[in-house]
Amino acid sequence: MRTSADKPSQCGTAVNRRHFVTTLLSVYGLALARQAFGLDPGWIWVENASPDTGALTLARYPQKTELILLTDRPPQLETPLRYFLADITPNEAFFVRWHLSGIPTSIDLNSFRLEVSGKVNKPLSLSLNELRSKFEPVSLVAFTQCAGNFRSWFEPRVPGGQWGSGAMGNARWKGVRLKDVLDAAGVQAGAVQVGLRGLDVPALDKTPVFQKSLQIDHARDGEVLIAYEMNGEALPMLNGYPIRLVVPGWYATYWVKALSSISVLDQPLKTFWMDKAYRIPDNAEANEEPQHLASATVPINEMAVHSIFVKPAPGEQLRAGQRYELAGVASDGGSGVRGVEVSSDGGRTWSDATLGADLGKYSWRTWRANWAPPTKGTYKLMVRATSNNGQKQVAAQWNRSGYQRDVIEHLDVAVV
Amino acid sequence: MSRWMILSMLVVVAMAMYAAQQSKPVSSSASKQMAGDGQVQRITLPQYPAQIAPGPNVEVYKKNCLTCHTTRYVSMQPGFAKAVWQSEVKKMVEVYGAPISDADQTLIVEYLVAVKGVEATPVSGVATK
Repeated sequence: MRTSADKPSQCGTAVNRRHFVTTLLSVYGLALARQAFGLDPGWIWVENASPDTGALTLARYPQKTELILLTDRPPQLETPLRYFLADITPNEAFFVRWHLSGIPTSIDLNSFRLEVSGKVNKPLSLSLNELRSKFEPVSLVAFTQCAGNFRSWFEPRVPGGQWGSGAMGNARWKGVRLKDVLDAAGVQAGAVQVGLRGLDVPALDKTPVFQKSLQIDHARDGEVLIAYEMNGEALPMLNGYPIRLVVPGWYATYWVKALSSISVLDQPLKTFWMDKAYRIPDNAEANEEPQHLASATVPINEMAVHSIFVKPAPGEQLRAGQRYELAGVASDGGSGVRGVEVSSDGGRTWSDATLGADLGKYSWRTWRANWAPPTKGTYKLMVRATSNNGQKQVAAQWNRSGYQRDVIEHLDVAVV
Repeated sequence: MSRWMILSMLVVVAMAMYAAQQSKPVSSSASKQMAGDGQVQRITLPQYPAQIAPGPNVEVYKKNCLTCHTTRYVSMQPGFAKAVWQSEVKKMVEVYGAPISDADQTLIVEYLVAVKGVEATPVSGVATK
């Protein structure tokens, strides 16, 4: 079974190289120059990894710090592991994932409008200013992650974006309730779904445009937001400026970026992105076997409970007899994390970790636990979380698309 | 100079400093800019060198596969069995509408197997995706 322990070099290498570069920058005063000129989009530092390890390339995109580059057209950027020691993931470090090469790079708020149409009494065309002024602002902390986060940890490997652990983040979102906007438009009887589209467009006319749908009751539950702020600032362009959908507890595929159109539907939306892509085996653990693929699949939805180690990082060595603070994050699909347990003996015995700040049921929880490895050797550390609704992680899991990872992760750590 | 004069001068200086602070443009960092009507926000995406491993039919790969996405969609993948690559190429044509001839599809699969194939026994099942 491939696990986090098999990926020792990725994050460690990235961190070390970053430190090296940071040192260089401060030595030569370039850091100051960079600060003075702000985020010059023409100033890009690229680390060229070998062609086989594209995931190790660090890149700096506009409004972003150095992130792990998976792909550059369209951009897919992964957050380095060390950012997950904090409760809130900074905007500049928040992961980026687009599907189509024609992503929005310029927004004029004078002309930008969110259109609300379909089975409504009064179609709306709302500027950002109208969204801000005509609806009650609400704010919540919510965790999200790409459906394929941790895809590269599945064994056998599956094709797709080869994410490690960094297609996730936890942020405070501020915006307006989707419900309030729908109510202002007046949803007509017979509505079953809302269809959601952003400003991204494909390179070819024949490529299906990216769109998602939510059941009408979900869209009107008062929890789904149209967010115009992320951690107290406008959203970075690459995270969906000027507005994106926030679907608390659900995978990020539903968090449509640069949201431009909401269509109230009396028939379920027919789209590749719901009917063929982003589907999981129709069972609670999103599990199937390579030799026996599930015949029934459903659109991915609520996030599964999951937890990882952030400290030690893969490849980090510990000292025998010295106290060490294990740390990590745990998340679920919106009931909140009830508890996290860690094991240093491959799962024979478990002890409770201490949970970090409770920022609401849709937030992840950081966790910490003290450990003093008694002797030198290799230890198999494990971590597992339980959610408030009793959901637990599983010992083994696989599916053909590498979605919804909920495996109890382990980390082989060397004690010297 | 009386205490009051010194005090009032200090107040004036403080007010001036505060005013200067307020009139400064918002930080040049775009991530600090708050949204509001009348603003145009623009970014320029960086360009990255293509990562193209040499292999048979590489020109066919370059001609057909880079219209919609970067070479990193291939270079980030681990090795896969031929059946997996066949299914991926087929998906590009049938789902995403890539205009690739049957002959070129075969040549592209050959290239992908050469640069990102697996030597071990192919994993059955994955290919049926």
